[in-house]
Amino acid sequence: MKKSAFLAAGLLTVLLAACGSSEPEPVVEQIVIREPGEAVAAATETDTGEVDLVALGKDAFQMCTGCHVADEGAASMAGPNLYGVVGRKAGSLDDFAYSDALAGSDLTWDYATLDRFLANPGEYVPGTSMVAGAVRDGESRAAIVAYLASTSE
Amino acid sequence: MNDMTPEKKTGALTKWSRRGFIGAGVLAGGGLLIGIGVRPGNPIGELAPKLVGAEGEQLVNSWVKIGVDNVVTAIVPHCEMGQGAHSVLAQMLADELDADWSKVEVMQAPTDGTYVMTDTARMFVAPFTLNAADWIEPTWNGLFTQISKALDVMITGGSSSIRTTGQGQMRVAGAAARKMLVGAAADAWGVPASEIETRDSMLYHKASGKSATYGEFASAAAEQTMDQTPTLKDPSQYRLIGKSKARTDIPSKVNGTAEFGMDAAPEGLSVSYAATIRPPAPGTRVASMDTTQAKEMSGVLQILNMGDFVAVVADSYWQAQQALNTVDVQWTQSESAIKSTADQFNAYAKALDEAGATGGDVAASKGDTQAALSSAVTTLEAEYKAPYLAHAPMEPINCTAHVMDGKCDVWTSTQVPLTVRSALSEATGIAKDDITVHHPYLGGSFGRRLEAVYAVMAARIAQATGYPVKSIWSREEDTQKALYRPAELSRFKAGLDESGSLVAYDNIFTHRDDPKEASVPGIYSIPNTSVRVAEAERYLPFAAWRSVDHSQHGWFIESFIDEAAHAAGQDPYEYRLAMLKDAPRHAAVLKKVAEISDWSAPRAEGTAKGIAIVESFGTIVAQVIEVDMSSGKPKMLNVWAVCDAGFVVNPDGFRNQIEGGIVFGLTAAMYGELDLVDGGIKQSNFHDYKMLRMNETPDITVEIINSGDVPTGGAGEPGLPPAAPALTNAIFAATGKRLRELPIAKQFA
Amino acid sequence: MAKFILNGQPVEVDADPAMPILWVVREKLGFNGTKFGCGIAQCGACTVHLDGQPVRSCSTPVSAAEGSEVTTIEGIAGPEGELSALQKAWISEQVPQCGYCQSGQLMSASALLRDNPTPSDADIDAAMSGNVCRCGTYTRIRRAIKVASGQLEPRTEEA
Repeated sequence: MKKSAFLAAGLLTVLLAACGSSEPEPVVEQIVIREPGEAVAAATETDTGEVDLVALGKDAFQMCTGCHVADEGAASMAGPNLYGVVGRKAGSLDDFAYSDALAGSDLTWDYATLDRFLANPGEYVPGTSMVAGAVRDGESRAAIVAYLASTSE
Repeated sequence: MNDMTPEKKTGALTKWSRRGFIGAGVLAGGGLLIGIGVRPGNPIGELAPKLVGAEGEQLVNSWVKIGVDNVVTAIVPHCEMGQGAHSVLAQMLADELDADWSKVEVMQAPTDGTYVMTDTARMFVAPFTLNAADWIEPTWNGLFTQISKALDVMITGGSSSIRTTGQGQMRVAGAAARKMLVGAAADAWGVPASEIETRDSMLYHKASGKSATYGEFASAAAEQTMDQTPTLKDPSQYRLIGKSKARTDIPSKVNGTAEFGMDAAPEGLSVSYAATIRPPAPGTRVASMDTTQAKEMSGVLQILNMGDFVAVVADSYWQAQQALNTVDVQWTQSESAIKSTADQFNAYAKALDEAGATGGDVAASKGDTQAALSSAVTTLEAEYKAPYLAHAPMEPINCTAHVMDGKCDVWTSTQVPLTVRSALSEATGIAKDDITVHHPYLGGSFGRRLEAVYAVMAARIAQATGYPVKSIWSREEDTQKALYRPAELSRFKAGLDESGSLVAYDNIFTHRDDPKEASVPGIYSIPNTSVRVAEAERYLPFAAWRSVDHSQHGWFIESFIDEAAHAAGQDPYEYRLAMLKDAPRHAAVLKKVAEISDWSAPRAEGTAKGIAIVESFGTIVAQVIEVDMSSGKPKMLNVWAVCDAGFVVNPDGFRNQIEGGIVFGLTAAMYGELDLVDGGIKQSNFHDYKMLRMNETPDITVEIINSGDVPTGGAGEPGLPPAAPALTNAIFAATGKRLRELPIAKQFA
Repeated sequence: MAKFILNGQPVEVDADPAMPILWVVREKLGFNGTKFGCGIAQCGACTVHLDGQPVRSCSTPVSAAEGSEVTTIEGIAGPEGELSALQKAWISEQVPQCGYCQSGQLMSASALLRDNPTPSDADIDAAMSGNVCRCGTYTRIRRAIKVASGQLEPRTEEA
């Protein structure tokens, strides 16, 4: 069988593009604020208004999204969908295969149980398949739970 | 004698031997250095003057060094992007050299101007692809007559490293070095060379009981006359080739010390960081930018409107990206009428409609397909759609640049270091000899790093700032502002006779890139075949994406063949096998995969198997995938793959590549899709451009058939094309639902 | 000034408290083994241990590490650099291809094995599914974890 040039098209494109302009393109606008290593002017205090715990929690929840979503109707991933988890009985989603430990735990998720579980899942529910992702920082935990609770409202 | 003197090499060019010329020299501090130059007598005669720039320059593209410390260093021109090329090329060299594998090291061949101009290598270029690379020959003339950039061809791709550099050069270098070491020992010991044996980097003379390390004779060996065409080993003599030797790069990849482009930095200089944003629609530019907020943010050093992109330079990448996120950039409008995915496929459909039943450019033609269609007992038609895809390598796009005093240094992950060098020269006005491209390991590529634009952007930023800058693209930028595997529309017609045999095959689609044969069902015996292409506007720029055209056409063809088998009421394995009567290697591969997957066994409740076979890059791969549909959604249980690449140099490394190709193919099949919305790309990161994860990955069994005596096939790409059709064919077998669009997952959501 | 313990050594670093641990360890402390992959905790390439728990360092601010122990890939080998059982298994099973995600994979796997010395396939899937490998080395990672936990024999070179 004849082998042909896998990369030829891409390569040609690259080379031709490189040849397209022989004059280096000038910088349109250059705003210099300071040079590297120069001392920074005293930091200006940012507006410290009301703390939006739900917004903070939504950001903090990023650390959970490797395994979880919290979107209405979304399929569970490596972990169950957490949309509306507050007020839900533990281990109760149909589309997720829970550990026997969690399914049989008789827990209902509220602020307190989620806070304890997230602090150290394996200690609170021994045998849970959530072996990663404990949220050690209490403030982050509170924010995440607040965010999850907001999806239950 | 120093055989590396340029004069001699220039002479050698005029009398090329069958394998090209090789040269040797003494290393500074003693030791032997061997290089293999260009080239056997393939059709590149007119290229020689272009390849050899100034008089006296020699072409050296792969080497072996043997130090007085008995360490053998293979200098490999290919980049290491995960395919294991560094290690397996060294393995080929070391076998011919009878080297001790535990004392073999690998060094990335440099591309910098200073090294290029040293005495040991007057001119470093790596036109390895010229050597026996019949797959690239058709492009040489076109490429090089249009642009005399012959020296830029140092690429890693096309599943080519072993097939070209390995077979043509590394083995020759190893064999030549061994012969010189033996010659040096024979002279010193006063014994015939034929009585000297070599093993594990040692020389032995049995009769006299003498022995020595290679290192002891490395300098003396450099004085030996070099054999231009050393005899290579017969496969029965292999000690390393064909064995699953451990890869040399892996230890550094388990303790965090491996250096990727992202980790590289100029020594002794502090680096600032840039975040960049390019226009959402291809071909558009910056109209204006509002930097009010960004200017006040911590860590920010500079904000640049570069015309075709905006950059924020800061003390850290995170600060640069945070500030960039606040810059309000307005872009010019795209002139394309295509704004959405629907627009794109409408444009494709229009092109196919206009070409009609017989129009378009002929890609392959046999018999009288129209007549055979009209006389067929059964006819079927189908239309398939494949989406745009991104490469999404794990290492985000990045480049560190330092431009100062008329010199430019860049550190970047690239498949084309010399192309990058040329592009940098064009963009900065700095001479190529004053540009150094440092290219450490690539954190994946799959075709992504065949473009030079990100290095050019980094160099332009560094030129503007005057200090070293590491430019990092966010994942979102890489997903939305790259080059792409094209979306494709393909229409089929087939005619079957009374027995169900496929007697007419008609296919028209919208693009033909590479490899040209990817769209042709050439492995099957079909008496009447018409394959046509009607080119249509492609909104997003093209990229070679792992297996290139095979990634779409492998799925199209093997799905439609499955449809034909179903229309004929026949088993899809038996149906294919009957059409492989003139392709014994393919038939053997298909039979083997049916055997190891227990194809004929009854299926468990809710499960089904699908089969597909594709030859790409010289390797035949058949796969059977077992899927469980009992939950209503596809769960992949098993993949069995059988591969014939002629001869496999490192079986475990080969299997690793095939496994990776399968996961890559299944990822695309299940989730891969980029949607166009308002002229931009909707997906941005791994949450909406999903990757297969461990919990979804089936068990994978890979078996190798070494049918030998055929050109060696590739490993990096051939595992991919059969994966998608084997999966959709399995889903059809389980559910009766024929999937003619990808991705799969959303169709079962 | 952020203060924490990095791989057993106390460190003090001048960084914005909101700056993710990833960029602090890479850019300010020069520990490059931890990788940037996605920036939104989707891929796991940046996984480090924060007081023993695997976290996505790209999305965890350095303020969350104040006074805590952070362990990166550079900290899981022995004091003389001797490889852990997991790292040895990663070599025997020839897991990495490009290698870019493997620091994160190893950090997730080492947390798993510490808490569960003989994990089942399901345990491994649960612990490792937050880590993307674009090269597709998942089946080898699974096998290497089983080799490291004594459930499978290591591969040999001759096959």
